Amino acid sequence: MTLYSYLLISLFLFSCGIIVMISRKNIIAMLLGIELILNASAINFVAYSRFLSGNIDGHVMSLFIIVIAAAEAAVGLGIVIRFFQLKESIHIDSAAELKS
Amino acid sequence: MFDSFLFYLSAFLTCFGAVLVVLERNLMHACIYLLMSLIGTAGLYFTLGADFLAATQLVVYVGGVVILMLFAIMLTGGGLENKKDRLANLLSYIPPMGSLKSYIWGSITAVAFLSFSINITTKLVKSTEINGSIKIGPTVEQIGVKLLTDHVLMFELSSVLLLGALIGTAIISRPSKEIFLERK
Repeated sequence: MTLYSYLLISLFLFSCGIIVMISRKNIIAMLLGIELILNASAINFVAYSRFLSGNIDGHVMSLFIIVIAAAEAAVGLGIVIRFFQLKESIHIDSAAELKS
Repeated sequence: MFDSFLFYLSAFLTCFGAVLVVLERNLMHACIYLLMSLIGTAGLYFTLGADFLAATQLVVYVGGVVILMLFAIMLTGGGLENKKDRLANLLSYIPPMGSLKSYIWGSITAVAFLSFSINITTKLVKSTEINGSIKIGPTVEQIGVKLLTDHVLMFELSSVLLLGALIGTAIISRPSKEIFLERK
């Protein structure tokens, strides 16, 4: 239970999120990876706030991260559902209109 | 004793859930494993002495976001993925990256990343002693004071952000008239 153990867990979560975002071809699965990455950053904030500074600003930052993650999940899933109504698919290669 | 047990349990839940999110083929199961990882993260917050944050994590993520994702998966009918779409068993074949230069740069990046993680791991192993027990004090009052004095601008901006997200989601996800009439 030192700072390094929390940083290691956070690094592991971040790597798993990046791997999910790269390797999955489903848009909702990529949103799962984004949730993992946001959690990793929130753990970092709280760990630094506990071990280095001692005040409570990191907790406030993590709260804002949770709020932003909730808003992002709502908007992202709304876009995904609309996309599914238009294209009948949520494969990431179906969204290629912007590719020239 | 209980502190270290809670920490190891939370760390195991977090990492194991994240690995299973990577490896699971069924998207519903992956979402449930993400739930496991988020509960482990709440336990980690608790070991860091952030009780309000742990409660918020449980309420918002476990009660809100994951349920939302489960409903989105069910609405889009996306249970299983194609086997050939997955790169989950990354070691079973070499991904076609292109030229020799990209292989070289990729291996250099992998070596740098590995040395970085090994450095962190050795520091972790050297300093595994537990420094004191968890100090669980009520942090709610301090967080409330901080929110309304130092971070009041971000507080108001996050309320505007949530309102915008609400309205935007309602507008985006409503089907347009043409599709609605077509379906009829």
